[in-house]
Amino acid sequence: MSTRNVSVRFPVGRGRVLTAVDDVSIEIRRGETFGLIGESGSGKSTIGRAIVCLERPSEGTILHDGRDPHALRASELRRHRRQYQIIFQDPNAALDPRMTILKSIREPLDVAGEGSRADRDQRARDLMNRVGLGEGFADLYPHQLSGGQKQRACIARALTVRPSLIVCDEAVAALDVSIQADILNLLAELQQEFGLTYLFITHNIGVVEHISDTIAVMYLGQIIEIAPADRLAEHFLHPYTQALLSAEPVALPSGMRPDHRIVLEGELPSPMDPPSGCRFRTRCRFATGICAAEAPKLRELAPGHRTACHHAETFRLDPNLKEGSQ
Amino acid sequence: MTSPEQISAAPARPRTDAAPLLDVRGLGISFAGPDKRISVVRDVTFSVAPGECVGLVGESGCGKTVTGLALMGLLPVHGSRFEGQLLLDGEDLLTLSEAQWRKRRGRRLGMIFQEPMSALDPVFTIGEQIGETLRTHFRISRREARDRAIEALEAVGISEPVRRHDAYPHELSGGMRQRAMIAMAISCEPALLIADEPTTALDVTVQAQITDVLGELSARSGMAMLFISHDLGLVSQTCSRIVTMYAGEVVEMGETDDVLLKPRHPYTSGLLRSLPSFTQRKGRLPSIPGRVPRPGDFPETCRFQDRCAHSREGCLTRQHLLRVGEQRFSRCHRSEDLDLPGVLS
Repeated sequence: MSTRNVSVRFPVGRGRVLTAVDDVSIEIRRGETFGLIGESGSGKSTIGRAIVCLERPSEGTILHDGRDPHALRASELRRHRRQYQIIFQDPNAALDPRMTILKSIREPLDVAGEGSRADRDQRARDLMNRVGLGEGFADLYPHQLSGGQKQRACIARALTVRPSLIVCDEAVAALDVSIQADILNLLAELQQEFGLTYLFITHNIGVVEHISDTIAVMYLGQIIEIAPADRLAEHFLHPYTQALLSAEPVALPSGMRPDHRIVLEGELPSPMDPPSGCRFRTRCRFATGICAAEAPKLRELAPGHRTACHHAETFRLDPNLKEGSQ
Repeated sequence: MTSPEQISAAPARPRTDAAPLLDVRGLGISFAGPDKRISVVRDVTFSVAPGECVGLVGESGCGKTVTGLALMGLLPVHGSRFEGQLLLDGEDLLTLSEAQWRKRRGRRLGMIFQEPMSALDPVFTIGEQIGETLRTHFRISRREARDRAIEALEAVGISEPVRRHDAYPHELSGGMRQRAMIAMAISCEPALLIADEPTTALDVTVQAQITDVLGELSARSGMAMLFISHDLGLVSQTCSRIVTMYAGEVVEMGETDDVLLKPRHPYTSGLLRSLPSFTQRKGRLPSIPGRVPRPGDFPETCRFQDRCAHSREGCLTRQHLLRVGEQRFSRCHRSEDLDLPGVLS
């Protein structure tokens, strides 16, 4: 799966346009977990929605196995997109409160018109067992389930149509740590078993580092750094990635915590009117003239590690680094 | 190590060095249910010293929020029943009349919530709402209230405080609204701020800004904080002591570093070990089987017993909070025998 120069724009009235995703090109290899991190408003969910054809790119192409789904006829697209599923943060909003769990899970199969009713029921029940929801839950309604159980139901439902890729959009964000661990374990098992590819969208750096093979960092609609997951934590090459990593609180005793935290000043600028040049420059401690004049391009500085920063090679050497915020 | 000493029955004070600002002794809360009373919180004992920041952790449904609301006198008067004592500066809050509560709530005790949008009134400006709080507690003019509101906005790091003073909540971003709510809570310089998941809805970068603001305020004015959160990382970073709650009871208490390195209750240990940062990348995360029982279904045994890997026959009786060290408490009779893994083991 890949995106080529994909932009997604939304009209916001009075002729103004919001660019949620701006010229994003990523490649997700089969069977890998691709993590996408960034603050709210960075465009990470919009990318996820575009990949499962819930949003049509204003520019650029999405390629599923080399094919552009939007070039397909409507009926073909309907069949094709089943392979690309999405799981959301809030299972309450994703499950119909008036449908039993079994019916919710079976619904994609009903829509697809696959097999007999008995076959579909059986497949839904099998998947319920597989995700750790016993069949006893089949006739319950969503309000009778806990958050973790509901999320399991959503996972089972996404699996019914045998997808090849699942976008997990903050799928564990609302769960308690112990339940979160269960769901992450389950997702890892299912990946092995069904050869799934995941796009894992989250703001939780601990989670994304744990499960991803590759991590991309987004800021104001653009990818600003992309690296193998085991490299990013130590070898980040973008000041924004550094700030994001250092802001994540870790449960370590006071003596063992990283000695400084970079607290970014201000907030994400409006995506309606992004800064010129490098979009991060308004909050960056290392910004110089060139950052305002010229937008940095993603450059490959190590195998599989690309970053969009004019000062990528030098900023970590800056003696001011030790001082904390700007 | 001192021998286990039961503190629940005769509530000994967990901290002995400083007179606590807040001293919660054997707090019990029950609500009227459809056919019987439902106990949601039982035997909650902990204290907060002046200027201290204490973290209250546990999964959803463990009674953290209800404890915070009880401290603010915000639980419904009808249907709620309380036991024990809630001592603020030696005065039992549970004996206050509503009129007396009004004098303390907002003045001595402040509270901030997870969702600032539901705590702020959409039809009044930020400044009017802070001013209202100030004028409720102090005999000051509108002009003075305005000045102090602007000062409070400045103190929480809101840029252009004069302009924001006249802004409506919807005109601010999530982080700004959270700051505005903090400004309102601290405008009367409370002795204790109860922060219930104050940054859960915010991005990590904004969360870092907010926790910095809270830390600075506490350092500057000597305000104590009870920080309620499910995020162990955040609590370890902001609090000097941790209180773990499970199924309506306090199950562990201690200095933050000590709790992280050597948890003395299997539940705290389980919570810490399930954090992804402590397992090898892509490795299987240790989780706690089962889920928190609902109020009304709390067992009469150790409440964690059915989810605990260390459960024995002796765990089938009610557990009491035991002193297991200097300022160290655990509601597990096996805590002396168990060598529970912390964040580094």
